[in-house]
Amino acid sequence: MSERRFVLLMLAPAVLFLGLLVAYPVALLVYNSFFEVELINPSARVWVGLANYADALTSKRILETALRTLQYSAFALCFEFIFGFGAALLFSAISGKSNWHRTIFALPLMISPIVAGLLWRFLLVGDIGILNYGLSALGIIPNPKAINWLSDPDIVIYSVAFADIWLTTSFVALVSYAGLTNIPKDLLEAARIDGANALKRFWHVTLPLMRPVIAVVVIVRGIDALKTFDLIWIQTQGGPRQASEVFSMNIYQRMVRYGDLGEASASATLFLAFMIVLAAFAYWKIWRTDNG
Amino acid sequence: MADRPSPDFGKTVINLAALVLVLSYALPYVYLVSTSLKPPADVQQIPPSFFPGRVSLENFATVIGTAGLPNAFVNSTVVAVLTTLLSLLIAVPAAYVSALYRRRITVIFLLFALVTRMVPAVSLGVPLFQVMKTLGLLDTTLGLVLAHTSTAVPLALLLMSAFFEGVPKELEEAARMDGCTRFGAFVHIILPLMPSGLAITALFSFIASWNEFLFALLLTSQNSKTAPIVIAEFNSVYGLAWGPMTAAAVLYSLPVILVTLLLQKQIVGGLTFGAVKG
Repeated sequence: MSERRFVLLMLAPAVLFLGLLVAYPVALLVYNSFFEVELINPSARVWVGLANYADALTSKRILETALRTLQYSAFALCFEFIFGFGAALLFSAISGKSNWHRTIFALPLMISPIVAGLLWRFLLVGDIGILNYGLSALGIIPNPKAINWLSDPDIVIYSVAFADIWLTTSFVALVSYAGLTNIPKDLLEAARIDGANALKRFWHVTLPLMRPVIAVVVIVRGIDALKTFDLIWIQTQGGPRQASEVFSMNIYQRMVRYGDLGEASASATLFLAFMIVLAAFAYWKIWRTDNG
Repeated sequence: MADRPSPDFGKTVINLAALVLVLSYALPYVYLVSTSLKPPADVQQIPPSFFPGRVSLENFATVIGTAGLPNAFVNSTVVAVLTTLLSLLIAVPAAYVSALYRRRITVIFLLFALVTRMVPAVSLGVPLFQVMKTLGLLDTTLGLVLAHTSTAVPLALLLMSAFFEGVPKELEEAARMDGCTRFGAFVHIILPLMPSGLAITALFSFIASWNEFLFALLLTSQNSKTAPIVIAEFNSVYGLAWGPMTAAAVLYSLPVILVTLLLQKQIVGGLTFGAVKG
């Protein structure tokens, strides 16, 4: 068999499969976005051109949702990064062979977002949430009912992020730790001999060398956070009212609850385009330049 | 020498900090497990207590006796196993040629796989609903397996092609000198060399399917509901039945945690790699 034929044959199943179950659905999504079409009867459709896009971009609820998704992602990412990177630095400061802390830290690594969401809802919910009892025992809040984490519309979008932060700090920590162990020891030692203190060594040696790892962690986690659905769904279903509704959830609601396939498709297409542009931008700007 | 104040003291402080940090990080999950072991009446007591006053398996009995839940666990397992097999079957040959026969078409193909990883689940789920409806696969195990495989294949492709990249091309050439066909060299010589790569890729596909929620929510309604869907329904229907809910969450997550602890090194390696390429 010729080399060319062999390559094509080996690729064929994957190409066919991804074509049928990814490329075709995405094409269908874009196609649907130009029609007024209901979920119950998709064959009855009226061409409306860009009207669905115009509606999406001028809808107050959708814009609020988009903004809220960014708020949520920025908040979650910021804390995941601080905690995760801090933990990685701590782990690398502990010399020796013991790695039980990293083992325990790996615990949530593969847990489903559904479990994390359920767990945190239980920690935060109404009058049985143990977090408020802990905080009031420590004197941080006056009584266990002082903060309504999941029912106060002003803070709920941040409260639902706790589960995300808890779930993915371990990912950030272990990936950062792997990056830290790759920094040549003699480089840090040389800087120490030259009289650089710990802070200076961190700022001038560790941090610049960690840039590619940091870039990757921020891109991967950022994209995941923007896509969040299940973790928030199980905690609040987007409530109270729409105070914790993020972009994925808004698309789901418009498709399933209102059956508006056309508008849901237009938003989903915009979402998809945004993600790909963001990823491409991040890839070219940060990753590429760092790898030389 | 004397100007550095006792390094042992500094070390103890760091170790202590690590201990506190790590323990407080595990605390929420420990609380979930401890709650699931409380008698149902104690679960909602005010103020809540961290540890069970009396250990009881009643919550677990309730969960196992609840219509739909054991069935959902069976569905989840079947879907995850089939997804794993199908995605390996599709992705491994493609990953092999992408790594060992680098050409323009394989590079374009890997780039395409990378882009599909950026597609938000909801953007794929909305049209997939229509596709599955047309094919008559709504609320079937096969329909959900196909949907899960569509996201598992790109991941498996990228992971496996990285594992294949460690294989020297000369090995394949030598096998062919000895009379193997190209396909024979792939199946009989190279594949048997990578049990750990295959195992890790399989594990990732399995867990991704086991944990998946949105496709299952969109594409199943009665017969082929998976565990996370039933747990989420538990959550909204029984609103306050926290005892059985925590027990269900423990049953659903404990196997995953045990596997993570056992294979921590390989999983972190795979995730790090997935992060770098994904």
